Amino acid sequence: MIYDVSKLTEFHYSALKEISNIGIGNAVTSLAMMLGSEVKIMTPDLKVAKIEEVTEASGGADKLVSGVLMELSGGVNGYMVMLLPLESAKLICNIMTKQQNSNINDPMNESLISEVGHILGSAYMTAFSDLLKVDAFASAPFHIYDMIGAIMDNILIQMSQEVEHAIILNTLFTLKGNDMHGKLLTLFDPTSLELILEQVNALFH
Amino acid sequence: MIVIGMADYAVSRSPEKLTTLGLGSCVGIALYDPVAKIGGLIHIMLPTIENARFKDNCAKFADSGIPCLIEEMIRIGAVRRRLVAKIAGGAKMFSFNSDASLNIGERNVQATKMVLSEMKVPLISEDVGKNYGRTVLLDTDTGVYYIKSAIMGENII
Repeated sequence: MIYDVSKLTEFHYSALKEISNIGIGNAVTSLAMMLGSEVKIMTPDLKVAKIEEVTEASGGADKLVSGVLMELSGGVNGYMVMLLPLESAKLICNIMTKQQNSNINDPMNESLISEVGHILGSAYMTAFSDLLKVDAFASAPFHIYDMIGAIMDNILIQMSQEVEHAIILNTLFTLKGNDMHGKLLTLFDPTSLELILEQVNALFH
Repeated sequence: MIVIGMADYAVSRSPEKLTTLGLGSCVGIALYDPVAKIGGLIHIMLPTIENARFKDNCAKFADSGIPCLIEEMIRIGAVRRRLVAKIAGGAKMFSFNSDASLNIGERNVQATKMVLSEMKVPLISEDVGKNYGRTVLLDTDTGVYYIKSAIMGENII
């Protein structure tokens, strides 16, 4: 069944944001421990966008970023995408490998960035599934350094065959002062919404 | 300059430039009438509207989008038998293990070529496939199709 996204209420929006906040809190804490630094997380932004508009809503189709993609499966369908500006991706590699001026296209660094994305994604989904009692997990990560549009169009193509809209939870996080920042996007297929909202209602009422 | 979003198209007369950003598996199809100097550009996502669940946007699919684009070009003065095509995109960026529909990029390119040949629009050049994203720009004054990528730099076709 297709859930009508126009039926989302203010309550649903804030509940989803709150859940996302806990998820991202979990996720970024793991990253901060790995990198040994302080983390700041902005309040997540929740948007319902037409599939065709998701890349623009994610920061601009031709912006070059280091992206890690994971597919969500189990109780919910969707994707998680971590987007890092090149400088932030380099900084993570520098810290982890104790080197200067890391090349993020180096296979070693690529898998390192993938792992960072995976740790973020898994920590997020663990919090999410614990809270909502939904069995959901993130797939193995893929890393690509390219334009946001090119990184995301494949998953949007997949989603567009089933649904017209995506629910986008967009969270900005910063580490090491403001030297490192990134974005964690969670795209839910609205068909997963029914289950999520049921659990939200059970949890908050 | 007119910026065209995903699953959208635009047509224009010279000297306007038409562009679409960050093509991955999607395909950017540029059509051009060199005499009237009229160009059209479409950013398609999927090969065919047949069996699609949502059919409201013709620009999403190669087989419904290309005829829409041609019609729109003719409406502003292009002549159908003069049209030529250049295409870019259709990359294979990555694939998840569970993906049943492997390589959507290649399928998009194949469908595009089939539709162009059915509509008797000659395909004069292409920059497709591989594993990187492309930003494209059609200059309606010259018919030149510029392709920019992060890894390969600029290609002119």
